[in-house]
Amino acid sequence: MDLENRKRELVKEFSPLLLKTSKWSKIWMIALITIILIGLYAFILQFFKGHIVTGMRDNVVWGVYIINFIFFVCLSYSGAFIGGVLHFFKTPWKNSVARIVEIITVLSLIIGPIFILLCIGRLDRLHYLFIYPRIQSPITWDIIAIITDLIGCFIYLYLTFIPDFAILRDNSENMPKWRQKIYKYLAINYQDTKSQRERLHKITRTMSTMIIALAIVAYSVLAWIFSLTLQPGWNSSIFAPYFIIAGLYSGAAVIIIAMYLIRKYFKLDHYIRKIHFIGAGVVLLIMSLLYGYFTFSEYFSRWFSHKTHDINLLETLFTRYFWKFILANYIGILIPIAILFFKKLRSIKTITIAAVIAVLGLWLNRYLIVVPTLETPYLPIQDTREEFIHYSATWVEWSLSFAGIAAFILFFMLIMKLVPIIPMSGIIDQEREQKRKSKKRKK
Amino acid sequence: MKTKLFKFSVIAILIGLFVNTNSVAQDNKAKDFKMLYKFTTTKQADNSRLLEVSFIARHKKNRKNKIPIFDAEINFYNITEGENILLGTAKTNKKGLATLTLSENQSYFTDKDGYINLKAVFEKTAAIKLYEKSISVKDLMLDLNLEEIDSVKTVILKAYTLDSLNTKIPITDAEVIFSIGGMISNMPIEQATIEDGRYEFEFPTNIPGNIDGNLDVFVSVEDHEEFGNVIQKKTINWGNFNKKITKKENTLWSDAAPIWMYIVLTVLLVGVWANYAYTIFNLFKMKKEGKILEENIENQI
Repeated sequence: MDLENRKRELVKEFSPLLLKTSKWSKIWMIALITIILIGLYAFILQFFKGHIVTGMRDNVVWGVYIINFIFFVCLSYSGAFIGGVLHFFKTPWKNSVARIVEIITVLSLIIGPIFILLCIGRLDRLHYLFIYPRIQSPITWDIIAIITDLIGCFIYLYLTFIPDFAILRDNSENMPKWRQKIYKYLAINYQDTKSQRERLHKITRTMSTMIIALAIVAYSVLAWIFSLTLQPGWNSSIFAPYFIIAGLYSGAAVIIIAMYLIRKYFKLDHYIRKIHFIGAGVVLLIMSLLYGYFTFSEYFSRWFSHKTHDINLLETLFTRYFWKFILANYIGILIPIAILFFKKLRSIKTITIAAVIAVLGLWLNRYLIVVPTLETPYLPIQDTREEFIHYSATWVEWSLSFAGIAAFILFFMLIMKLVPIIPMSGIIDQEREQKRKSKKRKK
Repeated sequence: MKTKLFKFSVIAILIGLFVNTNSVAQDNKAKDFKMLYKFTTTKQADNSRLLEVSFIARHKKNRKNKIPIFDAEINFYNITEGENILLGTAKTNKKGLATLTLSENQSYFTDKDGYINLKAVFEKTAAIKLYEKSISVKDLMLDLNLEEIDSVKTVILKAYTLDSLNTKIPITDAEVIFSIGGMISNMPIEQATIEDGRYEFEFPTNIPGNIDGNLDVFVSVEDHEEFGNVIQKKTINWGNFNKKITKKENTLWSDAAPIWMYIVLTVLLVGVWANYAYTIFNLFKMKKEGKILEENIENQI
């Protein structure tokens, strides 16, 4: 009976988050929808006029879209990885961040691949990828990996939602009928019995292991799309682990930003505390050190080997892309390290600032991986028009990029309207565990 | 006239600059150059006749410094006893070559010995003097036959000229070269001297030909003082090209991927999707369990 009361209390506590929409939230949502609509207009323009409305040309065939694709997909994989690790190792503070991580994972895996579709000049031939796949092609591996990972992440996310759906189903008397129906349907008759709980824990644990393995495989495949070509700047044996580290770096940073925003705007200081930021900050510090090491190793070996095309690329990076290079690979790595390394500097705000710098630096790093390489091809450029040699994104590409980010935030807000961002079942599990431990001590 | 002089000099110097950068420091005056003016004729495989003039200026001191004369007008004549009959006009290209192709039906005046007398004339300009060259050739007929005699692939060549009554007069003491057409140049297969207007030999059996087994057999007379250049060609399916039957291996670049790739991918995918299926199966079991529990509670009530 105590348990039922506690569940009721928790539903009562989180109900405002689910049912009430503040004035600012509404303004936010309208702003996000506006950005998405502008993006939609840009997409229609691109669909009917073709890639001429973008900055992509014969040489630079991949632009901001592919960078967004890598960024979002890496974010998703890192989310899956971190989520899996949190669950698998039963991390004590996982309850406050687990759902944020899981939602980030699924949403970024939905948004990311949309950008790859925008890259394709002949979308009408998209189905050829499925009709005539070449198993030897990393593109085919990537399609398989993304689809498999997306389904896996959906299942995993759903598994973690089931106990909360059940709690909401049992305590939703005051909620609208449609919500009650949704919760009833999604709770799949979960009654929190011992056998059901054990079964759910077992399959969630297996899925969390699978998700970690899948994230590593899918990450590597994404990196191989680049590194299995002979292009200068891409053909590297450490690209796969480098991508994994970079993804974890961006993943940890985005989680920190999300934690900060949710804590601030949904008044969840009680659940998302400084200790969570410190923990995530330490993870970000480790990742930034590893990421810095890999970045240095990557560029150092290219510089030292002194191959003509690599040197041409490095020259481009240190001339035309000088400031971007400095921002991506110096400021984007060293500033977060400096902030996170010293205990005294670690506060919720500074950790969040470090995370923001890390995310921007990493996005720029992806830009520097893709664009300068395509601007320095092996074959001489035939047409020497400026836009054929150098790439600069147009408003169409930017508006679609921002539409992607807006869609990500909007969907995040909508999911938060469906289930509490702090898993209620997790809180109950924790309390149950504490009770069990105290009983043991008494005995 | 002045315009022509200017045109030739400037163009020649300009081309010279591109052809040989060493010539920049040299004095490129016309008097420092010796003109190499060559005239040749070739009776081609389709019985048309090619008249070609090569017009190149060579520096007197630096013999490597050669400048092709560009845009020079060359008049080609058929010389008869009474007059020169203009056959056509051609201008030299950037390589200093002027060519004129006369069709198979072109009729020529011959002298009493049966020679066709041809002349190529470059008219004098203020910078370059008149150049002309004449050549006399007999109209040589090369009858190339490719036959299988007693299952032996045989090449038979009959070479003759025609007199005024169209009587065939077999030629003697002429060197001929038999070759097979190739992508870059012809491959000689036989070199012989014709003594009585006929030559035959067994065709080699180890020549592949193109993808269909076809090959072009050429016979040519080169720089002959009496006949000039004469070429004849026949195409025949005598090649022994066989598509190399190779077992298609599973490689990265073949249609089918390496076997290990299929195995690894299948194991991975089956492993992952089986786990998904197992998870979904457990979810259904959980649902069923919950339903039974619900029904029990309802019955108790």
